[in-house]
Amino acid sequence: MKEDTTTQNKLTFEQLLEKEQKEKTKKDKVLDFLVCCLPILMGIIAILEYLYVPNFGNFKNLSPNTYITFIIILIAAYTAVFVVSLFLKKKNLYNKVISKAPITAAIFAAFITYDLLTLKSNKLLYPFFPWFNDILNAMKGDAAFLWECTLSTLKLLFYGYFFGAAIGFVTGIICGYSKKAKYWIDPIIKLLGPIPTATWIPLVMVIASTLYKGCVFIVALGVWFAVTTATMTGIESIEKSYFEAGQNLGCNTRQLVFRIAIPAAVPSIFQGLTQGMSSACVSLMVAEMIGVESGLGWYIVWAKAWANYGKMYASLIIICIIFTVVTQALAYIKRYVLRWQEGMVR
Amino acid sequence: MTNQENAKIELKLDHVYKSFAKKEGKEILNVIEDINETFHGGEFVAIVGQSGCGKSTLLRMIAGFIPVTEGSITVNGAKVIGTDPNRGMVFQKPTLFPWLTVQQNIEFTFKMRGILKENSEKVKDMLNLIGLYEFRNEFPSQLSGGMAQRVALARTIINQPDILLLDEPLSALDAFTRMNMQDEVLGLWQMRPQLAIMVTHEIEEAIYMGTKVLVMDKNPGKVQKLISIDMEYPRNRSSNKFVEYRNEILETLHFGVKEEA
Ligand SMILES: Nc1ncnc2c1ncn2[C@@H]1O[C@H](COP(=O)(O)OP(=O)(O)OP(=O)(O)O)[C@@H](O)[C@H]1O
Ligand SMILES: [Mg+2]
Repeated sequence: MKEDTTTQNKLTFEQLLEKEQKEKTKKDKVLDFLVCCLPILMGIIAILEYLYVPNFGNFKNLSPNTYITFIIILIAAYTAVFVVSLFLKKKNLYNKVISKAPITAAIFAAFITYDLLTLKSNKLLYPFFPWFNDILNAMKGDAAFLWECTLSTLKLLFYGYFFGAAIGFVTGIICGYSKKAKYWIDPIIKLLGPIPTATWIPLVMVIASTLYKGCVFIVALGVWFAVTTATMTGIESIEKSYFEAGQNLGCNTRQLVFRIAIPAAVPSIFQGLTQGMSSACVSLMVAEMIGVESGLGWYIVWAKAWANYGKMYASLIIICIIFTVVTQALAYIKRYVLRWQEGMVR
Repeated sequence: MTNQENAKIELKLDHVYKSFAKKEGKEILNVIEDINETFHGGEFVAIVGQSGCGKSTLLRMIAGFIPVTEGSITVNGAKVIGTDPNRGMVFQKPTLFPWLTVQQNIEFTFKMRGILKENSEKVKDMLNLIGLYEFRNEFPSQLSGGMAQRVALARTIINQPDILLLDEPLSALDAFTRMNMQDEVLGLWQMRPQLAIMVTHEIEEAIYMGTKVLVMDKNPGKVQKLISIDMEYPRNRSSNKFVEYRNEILETLHFGVKEEA
């Protein structure tokens, strides 16, 4: 009976990985190191290119140092991580640096290419494609207002997503459980589901008490739809044997819901949450662009109306960053919560 | 060996019938017909019979998942209505909750009944007993089939049910693990000899483990023969007596014994 318990070798996970990996030769190690230096090299080239390739025609590049500062900060951040990883005993971070180095170098290369195409040659026409320094300056110059808009966007996203997900979670569970509730709610989902939520914006603008509340509703609607459907299917497709086992082990009805049905449906619920997030991002932007007069989406339209393309791109970049961060954060939570799933382990 | 308290357990199947309504049409499918037996604590009843003869149905009625159509099932005179941790069931495939760790699975029943604190020692002992103490924080997806089945057994047995219902608990295992597990199950049953009822499709397993073997007939399912196995544990699978029992059961199931050397 005890045969399984003897874990003879108390290896750590890292040691195990190292053991199972092919022995790295000296040459491989040097190569790895060189790859790690590549982003720094690229960053320096980017600065040199920016400084020494002459600007196109009569382009006036105002406060040119912003771009240089920006690139230097990037290089410094990367170098800091790299150097720290070299001195750490555990090799995880170093391995991560190795794997991320080529893409980081490519990002610098992209900066170089973009700079060459805009400021240095005007191949991408000004003012529709302002050079990066211009965008950075726009961002810096209008930082206070952009910050305000960012907060507004985040607030709208948070409220909409939170309400949509919370209500969707509850309705999903009720519909997954009760045939009667499903009878009444399913038609709503079937009818309204395929319509993009942004369709309702004009209507909401007319009937909602405030535009802002209306937009929260629009964002929430898409999330609600995604989460309800996913939770419902999640609950419906739980294997009956889990419930039987639960009953047999003494669960009461409430515990069957909270201890069995919900945990078992969590993978499906997360699918709904992820889908809901992308839906929320879409309706958020549309809502801001044609509805509320605040937020980054509105800022884009406003900047474009004034033909201030630098500001437009600045807002666009911030939107990109926000959406990437929230999506990644959600994925991270999902990975943690679902660590019990097969194939999720390590 | 028999514990006073357990010897009192009496499971009575009183002319039990079970029919299912077939989904298509208005046909009725008679699955169990007139099962009339009484079992007591300390017994290990092995049920064999062809696939579809109603073995699982019988077990599920005793567990209280489905009602009887006619007749009654009583435990110490009390009618079986609904499930009860006192009639613990181990399912054919491990139905461990994948979102809980090994330990959380085993203590699940205590947690549900709000008696985890006073039983935490028991959980630890059980983990040691099944040899998975080191694995207590792993999730079921990381266990082998045999380990998972052990956890499933432990999860039910830790309740010390009066009646332990086992629906082909070992059929998913390879021959080697299976034979080990047979001894483990017997060991757990002997520690506190409750009434164990186990469905199996292996005649040899039934004889090796059961104090009684219940042979069931098909269409509709009824008791064909109840054979008491009069052998000491641990049993020798190649002894003459063992082979005799085997032939008897095979004959009952209408399989000739000619091919036996
Ligand atoms: N819920 C149900 N509804 C309708 N028919 C059922 C139901 N459960 C079982 N049956 C029928 O009852 C019969 C007996 O099923 P049961 O699962 O008890 O067989 P079994 O003896 O356990 O077979 P096996 O050895 O293959 O597991 C089968 O014909 C099956 O189709
Ligand atoms: Mg069966």
